[in-house]
Amino acid sequence: MSTTTVEVLVIGGGATGAAALYDLARRGVRALLVEQHDLSTGTSGRYHGLLHSGGRYVVSDPATAKECIDENRVLRRIAPFAIEDTGGLFVATPDDPADFVPKWVAGCAHAGIPIERLTAEQVRAAEPALTPRITAAYRIPDASCDSFDLIHAFVEAARHLGSDAWTYQRVTRLLVEGGAVVGAELEDTRTGAQRTVHAACVLNAAGPWAGVVAHQAGLDVQIKLNRGTMVAMNTRYIHTIVNRLRPPSDGDIFVPVGTVCVLGTTSIDTEDPADIHIELWEVSKMLAEAEPVIPGIREGRALRAWAGVRPLYVPPEDRGQEAANDHEVSRQFAVIDHAKRDNLRGLITVVGGKLTTCRLMAEHAVDVVLQQLGKTIPCTTADEPLPVEEPRRYHELPHRLHKLEHGERGGQLICECEIVSRPQLEAAIEAYGDQPVALDDLRRDLRLGMGPCQAGFCGYRAAGILQQQRGDPDGIGTRALADFVEERFRGVYPLLWGHQLRQFYLDELIYRRVLGLDALIQPLNAEEQADAG
Amino acid sequence: MPDNANADGRKHPQGTGRTDVIVIGAGLSGLAAAGHAIRAGAKVRLIAMGWGQQKVAPGWISVCDRAEDDVIAEVRGHAVLHPEHPYGLAGADAMLQGLEQFRALAEEAGLFYDWRQKDGHNMRLMTALGAIQRPAMAPRAMAYGDLTDVSGPVLLVGFTGWRDFYPEMAVNNLRAQGFEARALWVTLPGVDQYWDPWPNELAQSFDNAAFYEAIARQVQPHARDAALVGFPAVLGQDNHNDTVQRMAEQIGRPVFEIPTLPPSMPGHRLSRRLTHWMLHQRARVQVGHPVVRARVENGRCLSVEVEALGHINTFYADEFILATGGLYNGGIKSDDAGRLWEPLFDLPLVTPPGEDRADWYHERLLFEHGHPIHRDTGVRVNPAMRPLNAAGEPVLENVAVIGQMLAGFNPLTDGCAEGIELATAYKAVQTALQLDTQETTR
Ligand SMILES: Cc1cc2nc3c(=O)[nH]c(=O)nc-3n(C[C@H](O)[C@H](O)[C@H](O)COP(=O)(O)OP(=O)(O)OC[C@H]3O[C@@H](n4cnc5c(N)ncnc54)[C@H](O)[C@@H]3O)c2cc1C
Repeated sequence: MSTTTVEVLVIGGGATGAAALYDLARRGVRALLVEQHDLSTGTSGRYHGLLHSGGRYVVSDPATAKECIDENRVLRRIAPFAIEDTGGLFVATPDDPADFVPKWVAGCAHAGIPIERLTAEQVRAAEPALTPRITAAYRIPDASCDSFDLIHAFVEAARHLGSDAWTYQRVTRLLVEGGAVVGAELEDTRTGAQRTVHAACVLNAAGPWAGVVAHQAGLDVQIKLNRGTMVAMNTRYIHTIVNRLRPPSDGDIFVPVGTVCVLGTTSIDTEDPADIHIELWEVSKMLAEAEPVIPGIREGRALRAWAGVRPLYVPPEDRGQEAANDHEVSRQFAVIDHAKRDNLRGLITVVGGKLTTCRLMAEHAVDVVLQQLGKTIPCTTADEPLPVEEPRRYHELPHRLHKLEHGERGGQLICECEIVSRPQLEAAIEAYGDQPVALDDLRRDLRLGMGPCQAGFCGYRAAGILQQQRGDPDGIGTRALADFVEERFRGVYPLLWGHQLRQFYLDELIYRRVLGLDALIQPLNAEEQADAG
Repeated sequence: MPDNANADGRKHPQGTGRTDVIVIGAGLSGLAAAGHAIRAGAKVRLIAMGWGQQKVAPGWISVCDRAEDDVIAEVRGHAVLHPEHPYGLAGADAMLQGLEQFRALAEEAGLFYDWRQKDGHNMRLMTALGAIQRPAMAPRAMAYGDLTDVSGPVLLVGFTGWRDFYPEMAVNNLRAQGFEARALWVTLPGVDQYWDPWPNELAQSFDNAAFYEAIARQVQPHARDAALVGFPAVLGQDNHNDTVQRMAEQIGRPVFEIPTLPPSMPGHRLSRRLTHWMLHQRARVQVGHPVVRARVENGRCLSVEVEALGHINTFYADEFILATGGLYNGGIKSDDAGRLWEPLFDLPLVTPPGEDRADWYHERLLFEHGHPIHRDTGVRVNPAMRPLNAAGEPVLENVAVIGQMLAGFNPLTDGCAEGIELATAYKAVQTALQLDTQETTR
């Protein structure tokens, strides 16, 4: 078993862990981040995409509101490449409680969030798709934020400073010796290989899994897990983020991201950090809530739905208390110094908060880490922009279209919805060396199959290229295609009515009738079942 | 609002046309119904919002893919056992007549469809992945690829730089099933590598002799030991028959076509040729215009209203055939609340069991038995193809409902989609024109 020694081990490749890795590196501490899947696949990759202005929390959670507006300003400065400055609107309709508006306005003033009142005409001019039945509207500095870009920038910058990040490495055990955590055992989630990392200090930034990780050292960290579902519609509808001006509730934020509009979210307590299932009523609810604000959206085409799990921190004094509704549980974060709380040195847990506040969370957590290491070096992550060589915007459709129009494309377009070319695909396959590669990995790398047709066309093409490139006689392409088809289907399963139902009729027709994939995998499936039995 | 007014309340004077039959829908069933009616001497108008599934389907005619022996005999047996199944309602004779009429119709329009005349069995045709499908009938260029009696290797030809066909995957899967197969890549003459031709675009290049000859020259030296030479189904659009024949001559081996990703050339050729033929027969063909409303009085449809160029035109007929293609082509609508409805006549529908959408799909797309939404959604009809209500009574006396509008079969898994389209189209025309059904037995 291989062994590595680092100064600090960061667990979790979400926004919090990545920001902490970067913060540590800037303070001169070389660290290693480990992530059980790929970067940005936990809650940070399944969120609503909103760089909060704080407006949502001014009434229920003023402290978080203040943190949000401060960090909103910082992230705009240090990570402009990840942010689209859509601006935000809070709009009230006749169905919303009128007495909430003055409370909310006062809350914004208190938190220092700049707002601007708009007339009905101004709203109509700015966002013609919104209902004319608006009783109050305010502009606010919300923005949309690409977590994938942000996280990768944090990690790349840290790597430049000598730190590193390993993906597909799961912490299976924390090593405890003489009253201190001294490292962790890792398992490769693809190959099962084991290794050990020794560290002077371990930072637990495992998001919804933070409780599970703490438990590996025998500690009890209470987090409230709360699942939320979002639905992406296939056009933007609006160009500004629209929030309903009412106490936070289900389905009241609409975020234009890239080419889509994301409706969300629900809020359902769960016990399992990996619980990302979606129920049909949640989808209908998102649409029903959006319809009065964006009339006609219900007849639109829902492209994808996904769910994420909020890791909400419940401070000991609040335990056993019921919040009025789950949207009102505090979004504040906590840094737990287990040396102080549990008399166990070498472990710090950071949990709660928002993606918007990830840098701040990292700053506070790293302060405690340095304390334990006996160092005092100030945080500088808010001081200057993150270095990015070339903005990695290739997953933004307009950017790829622009490249294409300006002659920067070579070779065939394999995925037309998301503009993925054959050279890109080949390079991505190449990058896996002789490691196994699933079409779904290529999807995450390139956005292959993420558009309206959901791999109806590019699935076969990508499988053919994979087969050609790997030259594997065992039908790797066929199996990869079958897996990809089912993977894509899982994502749209809750959205199969109207247009998307027709799309999947077409996809099913292609796979069954044109290609005969179902007939080919039947023996494979039977073999698998026999093996399992 | 008066009946002859439009949505905006104004009257439009134009729109008077009257025909014997109006067929709504330009899928295989709609085209076949219009074709039969024309051949029977009726005055026909075909109206459709767009083309049907033939534009995305493999191109062959699946009648009863699971049949191991005589296909029609299998249909006959099925019809007896399942009187409520579309085959049970239309009858095996309608199936046989429907196939033969369709073959004759296509031939008049200049396209050839073949079936295994020597034994009446299904063929064994390969897909682009190398799976074997078992349709009863196929466009001639596909039927040449019948692997039933093949002896010797199959050579599969891909075009370098063309993204829609990868022979290696097919070769692998064919070998795994005991066939001999090889892949060959050739280059497309003069095709710009920065342009991705769709199958229909590439097919037009194959109308050109210099183009296909350049391909045949590259293939010929590698085909000496091949029993058959397979190409993606792009061998010509308007010159298809010649292209296939000439390429086979030059290569010296039979040449066959393999279905591609959509658009489907066999379906495209069929749609083009049949429309052309119908216009030639002085039928009216309007593809691209939706029927927005039907006027029904006392259980009879009097007219339909068609939107074209911002106007509403009203067309009258004695008989109407509804071939609007079910869920895929807009003949049946669905929404997120789990409602299903037929938009034109608001016909009673059979729907999947269960309360809401949760029961529409199985959790795997390629689940062996398919999804309830596609098997259990549709219109119930009587043997005359007249739509029925829940009590089993006809609701419209001069409307027939055919093809994928019908409940009781899954077009994606049951291996009978085109068979049902042709059988019910034939049956509907027989009823509409009160023609005598010829009894045939086989
Ligand atoms: C539905 C929803 C909508 C949201 N919308 C917004 C929004 O619009 N704006 C906003 O600012 N915030 C939003 N949030 C909150 C925000 O997404 C989260 O607060 C934030 O992403 C948490 O980041 P994290 O890094 O702490 O956790 P995560 O992103 O979950 O990262 C933790 C990582 O740790 C890894 N891990 C766990 N256990 C192990 C182990 N044993 N070994 C190795 N790795 C491990 C996981 O795989 C995971 O990648 C939303 C949250 C939800 C659920």
